[in-house]
Amino acid sequence: MLKLDHVTKKFGDYAAVNDVSIKVPTGQMLGIIGRSGAGKSTLLRSINRLHDITEGSIVFKNGETSVKVDRLKGRALLEWRAHCAMIFQQFNLVPRLNVITNVLIGRINYNGTISTLFNRFSASERAMAVRALDQLGVSEQCLQRADTLSGGQQQRVAIARALVQEPKIILADEPISSLDPRNAQIVMDALRAINKDQGITVIANLHTLDTAKMYCDRIIGMKEGTIVFDGLPKKLTEKTARGIYGVGGDATDEEFSTAITSTTLGAA
Amino acid sequence: MSIQATTQGSDDAVRNFESAYVAYQRNKRTFNIIFLVVFALCFVLSVVSTEFDIVTLIGGFPRTRDFLFRLIPPITYDEFALDVLDWYWNIGVWMENLLNTLLMAFLATLLGTLVGGGLSFFAARNLVKHYATYWITRRILEIARTVPDVVWALIFVITFGVGPMAGVLAILIHTIGAQGKLFAEVNENISQHPIEGVRATGGNWVQEIRYAVLPQVMPNFVSYTFWRIELNVRSATIVGFVGAGGIGHDLFIAIQLLEFPDVGAILLIVVSTIMLIDIASEKLRHYLVGKEALKR
Amino acid sequence: MSLKLNQITEQDISLERSRFPRVFSKSPGELAVSYLLWGGFSLLTIYCLYRFNFFSYDFVFGLGTLGNIIATQMFPPTGFAQLPLFGKAIAETLAMAFLGTVFGAIVGLPLSFFASRNMMPVRPVQFGFRRFADLLRGFDYLIWALIFVRAIGLGPMAGIMAIAIVETGTFIKLYSETIENLDTKQVEGIRAAGGSRLQVIRFGVMPQVLPVILSNTLYMFEHNTRSASILGIVGAGGIGFLLSDRLRAYEWQEANLIIILIVITVYAIDYLSKFIRERFIFGDRDRVSGPVVDSDDV
Repeated sequence: MLKLDHVTKKFGDYAAVNDVSIKVPTGQMLGIIGRSGAGKSTLLRSINRLHDITEGSIVFKNGETSVKVDRLKGRALLEWRAHCAMIFQQFNLVPRLNVITNVLIGRINYNGTISTLFNRFSASERAMAVRALDQLGVSEQCLQRADTLSGGQQQRVAIARALVQEPKIILADEPISSLDPRNAQIVMDALRAINKDQGITVIANLHTLDTAKMYCDRIIGMKEGTIVFDGLPKKLTEKTARGIYGVGGDATDEEFSTAITSTTLGAA
Repeated sequence: MSIQATTQGSDDAVRNFESAYVAYQRNKRTFNIIFLVVFALCFVLSVVSTEFDIVTLIGGFPRTRDFLFRLIPPITYDEFALDVLDWYWNIGVWMENLLNTLLMAFLATLLGTLVGGGLSFFAARNLVKHYATYWITRRILEIARTVPDVVWALIFVITFGVGPMAGVLAILIHTIGAQGKLFAEVNENISQHPIEGVRATGGNWVQEIRYAVLPQVMPNFVSYTFWRIELNVRSATIVGFVGAGGIGHDLFIAIQLLEFPDVGAILLIVVSTIMLIDIASEKLRHYLVGKEALKR
Repeated sequence: MSLKLNQITEQDISLERSRFPRVFSKSPGELAVSYLLWGGFSLLTIYCLYRFNFFSYDFVFGLGTLGNIIATQMFPPTGFAQLPLFGKAIAETLAMAFLGTVFGAIVGLPLSFFASRNMMPVRPVQFGFRRFADLLRGFDYLIWALIFVRAIGLGPMAGIMAIAIVETGTFIKLYSETIENLDTKQVEGIRAAGGSRLQVIRFGVMPQVLPVILSNTLYMFEHNTRSASILGIVGAGGIGFLLSDRLRAYEWQEANLIIILIVITVYAIDYLSKFIRERFIFGDRDRVSGPVVDSDDV
């Protein structure tokens, strides 16, 4: 279980995440929605500890052991990042490396610095990387350079990289924002399958409400750094959504209308 | 017609444009005048400072011409081979020193690129956490690069003795500075996304460099290194003037002793070597770039 | 089913290896190339180190001497009483760079038209001018300086001539490349309006290439400041003479001051040249990176 307690992240005087407290049980698929700038990315990056938080605490409980995530330093911090895999809107692959090496990057935390300098990974790890690519259906491309793949394929490679990290949590920061509807569906299906079949907690920032409603067990709405909605997908009515996006009455707003109308995934 | 529909407002716009244009022209003229005045001033000051004297210069022309003509000894058609052999009487020593020159350039380029490349990661603002690390590394690289290699050679000849070792070290120090600074700028222009990707998997700083930075910067590093080889071969031919080994030493002695045919012979060796290296390096660079392009 | 490393069996590995052998090991060809490259470079490097006596007492001893000099004999820099003398030499260095660059540009500009393909239709002539430029550039400043010191005597004139000669070559190359890259529409416009050859150059070519040429010239001036600072070592004027004199007399503290002065001057000129290029010649910063050849070398 992941527990965030009064987490605040400030950039200068500006609180991007303001006093957020949530509990995410193991195996949940959690969607976070809200305007751009609402603090969704900052929240995920705080959990992965790509940056430090200003106040509050993050605790990860796994059976008997519990990790004070916000206090981690040095080697322990790197290990936490490995256990808490992250998927990005821009895929964040290394374009000039081939697909298999990109996936093996998910294993660098488990190997010594010197052996990774020479790109040495064990045969088991290599087989594991191929398996991961198989699960996402992109193993045929394993020797191609990452930048020769389509966006959807690249995101699937990124998920394979996350899988070989043997993660306890997968954080997905706008995983389908740069993808066309068909690829978006493939990627969301893959994340959902990983969540269901492997029991890995998935926390995803999503910019479309229907995607969130369709795939997630639970939805959190964020506005100006704070949580304004937390509940089951069916509780998320258009009225509540308007509240999250800060659009009053009948007024329309470009970002909001994109959020509710675009890409009805899986409708077919 | 739309032109007739112009309002008072667009008349203003036209007037504004015209006055702006006039002001622009006036500015440009002022700038040109200032430029010419500054230029003339610099010119006069330079002439005074260097005691530039056209008469002496013209007086030197015949001697320069003589000098240039005497670089090539008489070579007859009948005894062509003998004459050429006679001209290149010292070819053994010269070739030995030419080899030294090339090896000096190779060694200094290789080691300088490795060390400078390593330092470049500490001199890139986007890759280091502490500003102090960045600042200190930058200053070290700048000093290594700004002090000319011949000056380093002068210093090292005193401390390491006359010979190619001093030359290698001089070119090495300069190469570290030059490569480090160029590479650091390459590093600063890379995409941050892959770095974040590697960091989020739990990679440490060295692994971020190895997996996210190196693949991005490698093509530029390689191309700069070929270019550096060309420059370092040139450097290696002249550090000999101050005693730091290579064929420059032979050239220096020949000029001091006014052995004109020797000077000519060595100059021919030097210039053809430099041209060959330039061509080879360019071909290789294009080959690698082409290979790179195909991979995409 | 979740993916765990410890659940990957030998059978799994051999199965995946048979599917994608290249994932598990490089091809023999790639292996051979990488061994050859690594082995070759390492051996050559070790041989070079050996050949140049790096594995000897001389090297260690030299390091000791160098460390000793830096630690005890170079700091603090002294000789401030001689600052007027040093300042004059620095001024002379700058003047040499300036005049050498200007003369090189004056001679190089007209010749560059003969060396550019679109202005010089007679191919052998164009080719000849290019090779001539390569020849001038092929010898370093110091070599030309040595020659001119012999021909017209010690002093800054020899240095100016050395810079002017090399720059003539550089400018023929740089300018002709600029001219070859110009937009042909303007040129055709003047030609269509009945312009003579000179008029085409004056109204079609010059307005386009002038900013680039000015920028390159300024850049080479900046570069020549560095070159001029060492020409004095062979007697061709400037601060280099004083520096080599003090170094050879083991006046380390004064030499240190001179080196600091050179570094400051080079920095100042770099900054000034960059400022002028960005502020006055080109509005936007993207186009200001110097010419492709020779930038940053000294």
